[in-house]
Amino acid sequence: MIRDDCPTVFALDRREILAGGLAFVGGLGLATPPAGSAAEATAWSGESAARFMELSSLLIQHHLNEGVGRRIGAAMSALNPSLAEQVTELLAIARKKNARIVEDFFPDLPEGPLKETALAIVSAWYLGVVTDAPDAEVFAYAHALMYQPTKDVMTIPSYAISPPNAWSAEAPRLSNMPEF
Amino acid sequence: MATDQSADVVVVGTGVVGCLIAERALDAGLSVLMLEAGPRVDRSRIVQNYRKLPPILRGHWDAPYPPEPWAPHLETRGAKEQEEYLQLEGPNARAYLQGYVRYAGGATWHWAGLSWRITPEDMRLKSLYGVGRDWPFGYDVIEPYYTRAEYAMGVCGPSDPALQWPANTKRSKPYPMGPIPFGPGERRFTEVAAKLGMSNLQAPQARNSGAAYDGRPACSGTNNCFPVCPLAAKYDAASALPKIEAKGGKILVNAVVYRIEAGEKNAIEAVHYFDPVKRSQRVTGSIFVIACNGIETPKLLLLSKDERNPNGVANSSDQVGRNMMDQPKLTAMLELSEPLWTGVGPVQSSSIVATSQGDFRSRYAGAMFRMENAARSALGAAAALKKGLVGKALDAEIRRLSACTAQLTVEHEILPSPGNRLTLSDKRDWLGINKPNIYYDVGDYVRQSAKEYSVPRLKELAAGLGATSFQLSPEFLNSDHIMGGCIMGADAATSVVDPDCRAHDHHNLFLPGGGAMPSGTALNSTLSMAALALKAADAVVDQLRHG
Repeated sequence: MIRDDCPTVFALDRREILAGGLAFVGGLGLATPPAGSAAEATAWSGESAARFMELSSLLIQHHLNEGVGRRIGAAMSALNPSLAEQVTELLAIARKKNARIVEDFFPDLPEGPLKETALAIVSAWYLGVVTDAPDAEVFAYAHALMYQPTKDVMTIPSYAISPPNAWSAEAPRLSNMPEF
Repeated sequence: MATDQSADVVVVGTGVVGCLIAERALDAGLSVLMLEAGPRVDRSRIVQNYRKLPPILRGHWDAPYPPEPWAPHLETRGAKEQEEYLQLEGPNARAYLQGYVRYAGGATWHWAGLSWRITPEDMRLKSLYGVGRDWPFGYDVIEPYYTRAEYAMGVCGPSDPALQWPANTKRSKPYPMGPIPFGPGERRFTEVAAKLGMSNLQAPQARNSGAAYDGRPACSGTNNCFPVCPLAAKYDAASALPKIEAKGGKILVNAVVYRIEAGEKNAIEAVHYFDPVKRSQRVTGSIFVIACNGIETPKLLLLSKDERNPNGVANSSDQVGRNMMDQPKLTAMLELSEPLWTGVGPVQSSSIVATSQGDFRSRYAGAMFRMENAARSALGAAAALKKGLVGKALDAEIRRLSACTAQLTVEHEILPSPGNRLTLSDKRDWLGINKPNIYYDVGDYVRQSAKEYSVPRLKELAAGLGATSFQLSPEFLNSDHIMGGCIMGADAATSVVDPDCRAHDHHNLFLPGGGAMPSGTALNSTLSMAALALKAADAVVDQLRHG
């Protein structure tokens, strides 16, 4: 029996899509900074990854997978050379407020790159991609947080929700937020 | 036994039509060779392709099916890619942006599985309403083939004749399985429609309901019928291929047929295909079935012109590639005051279909209405994140926007019009084969329906659901139900194929499928294509046995 693997992506389109993806990243505050500050940017280290997880846990009060976090952090730092510094600054603001949850310190973030980076980190954990563009690498599918607030009802597409024909037609209340 | 060069029956295309005919011919003791332009890919690979898509592409049904260079199909990852293969023009070019898969198994890889029959009235548009064309036979002739198709594909549906479609109409057998249950969204939509006097029926669907059928497992509600059922609980032709091989059928993939060769007495003697290194191969047979879908089949006929057939094979009527049809679709995005909760059960599991019938069809098109049941969590999350929310507010907004939004769809019946025409583009694909060019205008029949009938009803349904916003698509869209390009009729001067889907011009050439349908109706076309395939299969077997 002949089986063919399908090709992944075509090189020409990859370049075009990457360019589009970077433009979108700019909108999230991850655009490459001017040359001067890029030169001063801190390298992404194991310590940076640990701080990234610490900040992620302050930004998002749900179970976060460390392996996924390492990959998201590394991918974001490749697009944003200032990420390590921004993570440190964001952690400092959170500590100053003795923050335990995001609501404790998010209102204190100044408008601009810092806040945009915080939102970009939240977005990556929820969507499972750093940039939602056609060529983006997916870090999480079923574990992407976007599926969790509705997981008591809605199917995560391509995963079975129940035994055959055993799903419910009952509509739960909006206020019954599942734990995750 | 078939060889790579010859068989009693040569079938071009491995979608539902080709597979049903191949299996019937094999059961009758004939040798069968199937030629498929594209590759053969494991289901697990396609599921992985899907899960690796970023959220923005998960609604693009073609995205998990990257085409091979020699077998291009529509891709929609970007605007430039979208314009690459199908060349479209006319006032409603956008509405012919048809998705299909040039892989072994064809477009059934990403169909929804809805398996509606058409009605006796749908087959007599000209006689009853003075528009379109009549079929060359009546409902009583196609009914047994519908039943056979339902059993071949495993179609589940209601047992109460009042809840079947067409309602209270004789069937030679009940559905092989009972219906798929509703989730909360479809139940609510059904209740709202009923208050407006519209009956939202549990759709007959080629999906295993509550039990395994024909070696495929029961549907477990993965809500991913398109772009791919991960279980094969929905019939797709790919799951039929091993069965065909077990019966002795031979399947050649990556074989792009580019020419049909006519010989003495205009009989078809061979088809020619390119392999992936552009070597040309010739395949002979007694009967040839071209079942490459409603775009690729007329394209291949037009490509095959010769001295005897200067307009293309099977085209003495000049109707090949004309009368291109689909169901022009409009969608409405709603925000609702109360939760609806889609995403439980199949992505499409019900429809309002009685609205496709009525004397108004002398003036404007009938229409079918549906609430799309795909899970909306990813859409809700993307919209909530754009608001810059975090923490509990973000989770609550994701839940609200996922539960309290909906997409309603209306699909219209289009009339066959010779001006809606597929021709060969000057632009060529990787192999040097002309790309298809299609001119498309949905016509006043559809536009008038949208104005007077379908959009007002759509607004009523939205209001009934408690819509706080209603955003209608700015233009007609495709439904991927490609029909008409090899239109059927009794008169060889005005049609391409006879009532058995045999080419009027070539006694051993069959062109079954959507291309043969003389009326498109407002309902999904696959079961009608399958019924026509089985009718053609009987004719193929009879012809080879009795000459």
